[in-house]
Amino acid sequence: MRAKAGESVAVVGTSGSGKTTLLGILAGLDTATGGQVQLVDAQLHELDEEARALVRGKHVGFVFQSFQLLGSLTALENVMLPAELRGDRLAQEQALELLEKVGLADRTDHYPRQLSGGEQQRVAIARAFASQPTVLFADEPTGNLDTHTGEIIIELLFSLNEEFGTTLVMVTHDERLAQRCGRTLQIVAGVISNDSASQISQQGAGS
Amino acid sequence: MNLVLVTRMALRDLRSGEMGLLLVALVVAVGTVTSISLFVDRLQQALMSESATFLAADRQISSSRPIPDEFSVQARARDLQLSETMLFPSMVFVGDMNQLVSVKAVDDAYPLRGKLITAQEPFVRGTATQVVPAPGEVWLDSRLFPALGVTVGDSIEVGLAELTVGRVLVTEPDRGGSFFDLGPRLLMNIKDVPATEVVQPGSRINYRLLLGGDEPVLEELRSVLELEPNYRWVSIREASPRIGSALDRAESYLLLGGLLGVLLAGIAVALSAHRYAERHFDHVGVLKTLGATPSQILFGFLNILLLVGCVAIAIGLALGVLLHLLIVELLSSFIPVVLPSAGMRPYILGIATGLICALSFAMPAFIHLKDVSPMRVIRRDLGTAPASQKVAWAAAVFGSLFLLLWYSQSLMLTMWTLVGACVVIVIFGSLAYVLLKSGRVVGMQAGSAWKLALSGLQRRRKENVMQILVFGMAIMLLLVLVLLRTALVTEWRSQVPDNAANHFVMNIAADEVAAVQNLIDTEASSGDFLYPMIRGRVVAVNGVPSQQYQDQVVENPSEQGSELISERNLTWSAAFPASNEIVQGRWWASDSQAAEASVELDYAEDFKLKLGDLLSFDIGGQKRDAVLTSIRKLEWESMSPNFFIILSPPALQDLPATYMTSFYLEQSKKIFLNTLLTNHPTITVIEIDALIEQVRSIVVRVTQAVELILGLVLASGCLVLVASIQASRDARMAEHALVRTLGGTRKLIGGSLAAEFLVLGTFAGIVAVVGAELTVAILQTQVFDLEMKLHPWIWAVGPLVGALVIVVVGLLGSRGLVNSPPMLVLRGLN
Repeated sequence: MRAKAGESVAVVGTSGSGKTTLLGILAGLDTATGGQVQLVDAQLHELDEEARALVRGKHVGFVFQSFQLLGSLTALENVMLPAELRGDRLAQEQALELLEKVGLADRTDHYPRQLSGGEQQRVAIARAFASQPTVLFADEPTGNLDTHTGEIIIELLFSLNEEFGTTLVMVTHDERLAQRCGRTLQIVAGVISNDSASQISQQGAGS
Repeated sequence: MNLVLVTRMALRDLRSGEMGLLLVALVVAVGTVTSISLFVDRLQQALMSESATFLAADRQISSSRPIPDEFSVQARARDLQLSETMLFPSMVFVGDMNQLVSVKAVDDAYPLRGKLITAQEPFVRGTATQVVPAPGEVWLDSRLFPALGVTVGDSIEVGLAELTVGRVLVTEPDRGGSFFDLGPRLLMNIKDVPATEVVQPGSRINYRLLLGGDEPVLEELRSVLELEPNYRWVSIREASPRIGSALDRAESYLLLGGLLGVLLAGIAVALSAHRYAERHFDHVGVLKTLGATPSQILFGFLNILLLVGCVAIAIGLALGVLLHLLIVELLSSFIPVVLPSAGMRPYILGIATGLICALSFAMPAFIHLKDVSPMRVIRRDLGTAPASQKVAWAAAVFGSLFLLLWYSQSLMLTMWTLVGACVVIVIFGSLAYVLLKSGRVVGMQAGSAWKLALSGLQRRRKENVMQILVFGMAIMLLLVLVLLRTALVTEWRSQVPDNAANHFVMNIAADEVAAVQNLIDTEASSGDFLYPMIRGRVVAVNGVPSQQYQDQVVENPSEQGSELISERNLTWSAAFPASNEIVQGRWWASDSQAAEASVELDYAEDFKLKLGDLLSFDIGGQKRDAVLTSIRKLEWESMSPNFFIILSPPALQDLPATYMTSFYLEQSKKIFLNTLLTNHPTITVIEIDALIEQVRSIVVRVTQAVELILGLVLASGCLVLVASIQASRDARMAEHALVRTLGGTRKLIGGSLAAEFLVLGTFAGIVAVVGAELTVAILQTQVFDLEMKLHPWIWAVGPLVGALVIVVVGLLGSRGLVNSPPMLVLRGLN
């Protein structure tokens, strides 16, 4: 498969079909036993963990189902992390700006355990965009949230995605969420059984 | 990761309690080492300076030859204090009265340690003096005054010199407790010795060079001088074997206690570091998804460890100093007020211990963090590479070894500890495994809390074997220290029982015995023996004259101090003397009519004497033969007289003998000696009450030090228990929360937890008792030179205490686990 810059791709499939494995490999979190992965200009299958980490830091942002904030750091400090890991001096200003964008300007000094699930996910989204990623990987971003909060988070995610022009790859069970993406990949038993992009192009070619 | 970030994370971890146990464990390690070594350092200095008064110096060089000037030159070059003395027996004359005395000639610097006590009249307590006899003057032992019929101011002849009696000598520091330093003391100035002309070729003179100064300088001097084989280097250990061995054992014990304390703290450090790392796996996963490279992770967490290590060292040092000040304060009545201040070594030792503990016990777990896969963030079930287990063990073993060796500076103690630890781990591991396995069979028929507990124990069998090992080790080490302390203290106390005879009386003529005994009975409690004493020499072995025999059997005559033919004190006795032990042959029957002999083991070995040898004695011109029928081992540390050669009654009893006895006299009744000596001027009284008092006070002090170390190590032991329970807390928590969501009551969970800890504790107790008995047996025989003994009581107490302590600590540690709502636990674990 190939994803274009700025495209939004939903990866759907039943539990155990291999969605998460695919996400891990695409994001350079894991290595595949065979095949090739290119992320922006990096050949991930040729890199070791050290180099892959640098690529992740430069090009990749994540939003997880279980938020994955560091409990010992405040909301602001969590958002500052990616920039700090890169050694960026303007980390704090940028982080405050992002927190304002996700509507948490008044909760910057709160620790994750003092925030609701929706708020935690908003911090996570702010953190994901803090590294100004080329690609944003999201793993069931609404899986731990109620429908209403989920919708707010989705809105936030897509609007920021648009604003930053980020490529989005999202693993989800949520039909409505998948429909909002420009392209849907259906995975069955580790194989892409259906790719809406190829259907469209095939349909286009056929018509 | 930059330092700001690292510091922030470290501080947050400290504040949130994630680092708490690791910090406490490191603090305890540093604190234990610092306080023990500070205290030992100062105590040693205090004990040494007190013990030094036994020598009147810090060291002596002793020889039957004049001490070469070279020795004094070398000592002076090192700024050491010096004093020369000479000891020799001599006859003194006053008119037609004469008496054999033991002369000590001293220079103006004498004594370097301790004080001379003198008086103006005999048989009084006397006062300390700063001076020594002026040239032309002698100071005499109280008992010489009645014996020679002199008073202060009279003159007496020593050899060819005529000297004036200046004062009564009550005591001098290096008088020694020797039973055969016969004859009362005469102290004179060394400048008068040439005038006496007693120094002739062949005369028996003991030359001594007394040295005072700092320990390292003295030891350095020793290595420079060519002492062997003619010059003997004497420290307190050689001069007073009783105190020397008590000090040696106490030192070994303190060292061992300190070592075990550090090792226990080390285990606690390893456990809590492991837990810390485990709880940060997700943390690292997240950091990695955010672009942290493995080397950034490594650098970051090592910095966190370093930071925590530094904080722990700072707190540990402060705690160590405070603790040792507290101890000094507690023991101030026993320790001279002005304790010499300790050197830098304890502090350096403390800092190094903290760093080494952090490096070898905590670092492996931290290094492991860099290998955490970022995939963990989306796949929680992902473990981490197991390879670094080996690294962790290797680092811990290496670190422990280094600490052991550096701290004890004894290869033997280190090797024994290492061998012990290996054996213990192998045996305990299999024992714990078998115990757990048998637990399941029992559990099958048990109630549901038990079933739950035992199934939990089974499921995490590997972890539980480890935990039993750790618990068992901690309990074992504590048992070892308790048992050894009891053994040591009992041994020390038995050397100086209350009411032990503190005066010996010698040279009692046969017809005086009854009178002396009566007199003693009126004022003092009598000792438990009365020995006849006869001077005699061995003149032939199996018909070969002694000198010829000795030349034949002794390979290296120059190193042989004593001569077979030397005159010795002989005794005869039908009864077997207490505190002796037969190592070869048998003691004669009480009605034996044969002339038999029994000799001391070293004496027999020196002169290659065997059972069945015919020994010929010359006793005041009379020839006597006796067959060697037994060889004895003597307890040199006991406060009773020891004889190299004892004969059966038929061999000696018809010869004229003098007698020796002993009695216990209270301090307040010392004046009784005056009565005794006035009535029987020819007898010799040896006072060892001061010596016994000194030994007793040292024993009390050392015992206290030993108990204190025990307390410190107990604290480390408890820490290990807490750390170990904490380490398994998360796994237990998840399991029990699950059981509760499935409908398990709090009572069931509580019961099952208690049952689990009960089983773990009991097994650990059993394992500990086996280990403790083995270790104590080895230590007693190999390191402390005590008799091996089994301790039936710990077989019951060990498992019971193990179970109790672990149930209590365990339940306290998992209180939150039972009481918090299961949802919270499950969510927290997510």
